[in-house]
Amino acid sequence: MSTSAANIRLCLDLAFTQSVDESRRWILSAMDRHGPGMVTMLWRILGNEHDVCDAYQQTFLNLAHYQQAGKVRPKNVQAYVFRTAANTAISILRRKQRRRQHLDTMAETKPLQQDVEPCDDLDAKLLQDKLRAAIAKLPNYLRDVVVLRDLAELSYEQVSNILGISAATARVYRSKAITLLAAIMAARSKVTE
Amino acid sequence: MISSRMKKQCKKLRASLVKKTIGKLSSTLWLQNHIAACPRCRMRIARVARVDFALTLLKSQPHSSDLPARANISAINVLKHSLRESPKADKLRQIESAGAWRQKCGAHIIPLAKTAACLAVILIIKLGVLSSMDNFCKQGSSAVEHYYARHLGQEYADEIFSA
Repeated sequence: MSTSAANIRLCLDLAFTQSVDESRRWILSAMDRHGPGMVTMLWRILGNEHDVCDAYQQTFLNLAHYQQAGKVRPKNVQAYVFRTAANTAISILRRKQRRRQHLDTMAETKPLQQDVEPCDDLDAKLLQDKLRAAIAKLPNYLRDVVVLRDLAELSYEQVSNILGISAATARVYRSKAITLLAAIMAARSKVTE
Repeated sequence: MISSRMKKQCKKLRASLVKKTIGKLSSTLWLQNHIAACPRCRMRIARVARVDFALTLLKSQPHSSDLPARANISAINVLKHSLRESPKADKLRQIESAGAWRQKCGAHIIPLAKTAACLAVILIIKLGVLSSMDNFCKQGSSAVEHYYARHLGQEYADEIFSA
């Protein structure tokens, strides 16, 4: 008698688990649909394959554990995954920068590249690193637009959908962000000079 | 001392920079003259151009072709067992980027395109030569027919050339 009750409970548990798993299949669909775009965006933000995999994994882990207002699925999956991925990537970028600064302080050395010459712009790696650092310093509302528009190469309509702003506002934010990036990069050059 | 006209032009250029990208700025005479005369605007444009250049550089760096698959594998590994074992997960593990496809096919596409171009050129030359030859034969025979018709009469010429 007790064995059959245990069996029934096991069957019910299995059925419940199956139904929960069925309801989570959309995560794989989201991965299929938005994965390649996210990888490209993360690669452009981070420039390191290991970090890209970490940020990507973290994003889908967050998505799998999504639970808000009794719902197990965000309203706009694309918005959720792109914003989470961008935020995770920026956190990784900032962490790395902090670590680098800390190491520089510990070793009491200055970066090898001290003088900024016009020919530095020809050093693609250096220029990209400067841009990444500048992007990490942008205020969130401007950074999101630059990351989604320029690095993920989404249209202004998609960006406005994801961020919940109008396309015109996204355009204005993007121009402001570029101006600010220019100023930050110029200031960084002066500091290192 | 900066004139008010100069200030206005600076403001106009700043507005244009906000609305458009560097590449889309119109190269009107006033703009060129202003940039030549105003060091601040020159610096402003140079800075924005630098950001544009850096963004282009970021976009132009491709990631390795297996990165999407590796990222998918790492993400799928932290999902529930039933999701990990589903056929869709297998498909996602073996996904390849569009760049990889291009890279694979690129090696074959270029020689194929070259061969096709060569064949097209040969075909065009052959068609041209053949049609010229045909034209030449027709014109020659009509000239000879005309000659016979003038010297022997149309009747004889028709008889000779209809045979």
